Amino acid sequence: MSAPNITADNEVPDSSIKDSDGFEAATRLAPADGRPVKIIRPPSFSLSTIFIGLRTLVQYSDLLYTLSLFRLNVRYKQSALGWTWAALQPLALMGIYTLIFTRITSVATGGVPYPVFVFSGLLPWIFFSTTISNAVQGLVLYPNLLTKMYFPREIIPLSYMIASLTDFCIASVIMGGLMVHYKMPLTWHVLYAIPIIVLMAGFAAAIALFFSALQVRFRDVGLAMPFLLQVWMFTVPVVYSLQSVPPRFRSLYLLDPISGLIEGFRGAIIHGVTPDFRVMSLCGLVVLVSWPLAYAYFKSSEATMADVI
Amino acid sequence: MIDLNFERVSKKYKLPTNGDRPKRWYTRAFARRSGQMWALRNVNFRVNEGEALGIVGHNGAGKTTIMKILSGITTPTSGEITIRGRLAALVEVSSGFHPELTGRENIYLHGAMLGMRRSEIRKKLDSIVEFSGVGRYIEVPVKRYSSGMYVRLGFAIAAHLDPDILLLDEVLAVGDAAFQAKCLERIAELRKSGRTIVFISHDLAAVYRLCDRAILLSHGCVLSDGAPRQVIDEYQQMSFAGQGDSTNEEKESATRARCTGIEFSAPDSPLGIRTGYPLVARLNYKALEPIPDAVFRISLYWPSGYLCAQLTTESVNGGCQLEAGTGFVEFQCPDLPVVAGLYRVDLAIESKGQEVDFRQRGATLRVEPGKIAYGDFFIENAWTLHHTPALADGAILKSGK
Repeated sequence: MSAPNITADNEVPDSSIKDSDGFEAATRLAPADGRPVKIIRPPSFSLSTIFIGLRTLVQYSDLLYTLSLFRLNVRYKQSALGWTWAALQPLALMGIYTLIFTRITSVATGGVPYPVFVFSGLLPWIFFSTTISNAVQGLVLYPNLLTKMYFPREIIPLSYMIASLTDFCIASVIMGGLMVHYKMPLTWHVLYAIPIIVLMAGFAAAIALFFSALQVRFRDVGLAMPFLLQVWMFTVPVVYSLQSVPPRFRSLYLLDPISGLIEGFRGAIIHGVTPDFRVMSLCGLVVLVSWPLAYAYFKSSEATMADVI
Repeated sequence: MIDLNFERVSKKYKLPTNGDRPKRWYTRAFARRSGQMWALRNVNFRVNEGEALGIVGHNGAGKTTIMKILSGITTPTSGEITIRGRLAALVEVSSGFHPELTGRENIYLHGAMLGMRRSEIRKKLDSIVEFSGVGRYIEVPVKRYSSGMYVRLGFAIAAHLDPDILLLDEVLAVGDAAFQAKCLERIAELRKSGRTIVFISHDLAAVYRLCDRAILLSHGCVLSDGAPRQVIDEYQQMSFAGQGDSTNEEKESATRARCTGIEFSAPDSPLGIRTGYPLVARLNYKALEPIPDAVFRISLYWPSGYLCAQLTTESVNGGCQLEAGTGFVEFQCPDLPVVAGLYRVDLAIESKGQEVDFRQRGATLRVEPGKIAYGDFFIENAWTLHHTPALADGAILKSGK
């Protein structure tokens, strides 16, 4: 991909200056070497594409902001309930799971009322799964954008992640309300939730980048994703606790970073315990490895996305 | 300084063999390799700073591929392109719009997609709204806009970009005449301020008017590179010849007579065809069988697509009788009334009011400035000056008394 020079690009003056002003035009063209030089070559898969890509992404940070904002705006346009939907979805799921897991069967929650228990698992899970399911469809939703205009394509999946993160924050308020309602103590351990969510966002971004790039080529990804996410949800401790899993399977379980992160999140919020350091560092490692790989794959396939979409 | 440099650029597209569906994995293993298509083959050209380059060529010649590579939408298969300066592309100006968002929100979104900063957009917002003429509808979702408003808003945003190099792809084909004039004015303004422009269009008149230099593309290769008028001439010859060839095979049996060529000439004028001077148009034909009541037509169209004038053999006495064979019909105009410009020419042969052969865009006619004319036509005239000497006011009063 290309190597635009950021610093020089920012020096290009705004055109609040009149273009027809001959004097201004002359001074503008005088420092000829100040212009950014961009070289376009055939695509190649290399680590340098990551750095160049990130640099371009920083240049387009305003687009990421605008697009994320509008994702939220558009989603609730012409809907009567509007922003309440961000809270309604986890609440409805909480209701149904509470009905199943308290009336029909029961799970060990460590003495915590089941609604709070399941809500604390649903909260990060919904963030993760909506990010992925929206991002995977996002790139192919408006093919015109990909074939007619250029901007770093990763902005589309990333904007869905930021939109989901906002929904997560809204639903967190409900979580607080539930805890007050059930008279559960809030400890300083809640702060552990922040690094956990950062790791989760990193992992969700990696998965979203990889699968959305793949979706451009093979629409099978989009068709399989809802099913895959449903299965995935039951393989991680959202509706049940890690304690319900037979001990010999637990280490296998924690290989999936989402399991470890959700368990850590729940522990920090409702049990007020410090997350297991070994589990967290394993999750961190997975994120650190998967992110550059997914991003490099995305950037190398971006070069021909417009041709195959 | 060179702003754009294309060096040995090629672009290959893979063509899926069974329609546009990807092959199923089980058939792919046994299938032969899919077809290939070279959209660009070893293309070399340069654009200097402040130059306006026009790219012409028939559909599928590779014009849009050049645009896509330049704007970063796709990458070349081989070769290298150097771009010096900030580049902005005006390609189908409203593709970045979201129907649910209001005009104002779309300005922010589309502007950001074109690479503008939010602060920059905020500063230019009023000017963009004013240019687009959308006015108070700026707070209405764009899905409620008329298609004209949509496109005008799109162009208004793009026109407020401040690039060093501007790519224009068929953007002037939209909007009403007044808005088109506004766009051309804005582009001319950008040109004057020293921007480099790459302009892709089928509107040869616009290429002729806007560009310093043009290149002709055909099947992914650069056929010629030079002054716009020379390149346009070459393109027209090529497209006329090409069109004749293809219809020869297809319509040989169906067509009883064909237009085989047209020549415009200006007798005794070394300066070419000029307003107010003689023009001779010679239309060659080939008749395969006798054509009763034949009428020839040479229609001149404005760049906007409206019929400007027609040379025709039609008369109240009916047409002429054509025998099988070849020949030509020659129209002689003592003083050409149309003003300087480039006209699209359609050719037609009719028999008993029925179309026998019709060549849309069969040729173009370029008229150079000749006698002084403003407006659309030159009116041949003779004038004399009749002067009445003014009398002093007092003299009139005196004689009245």
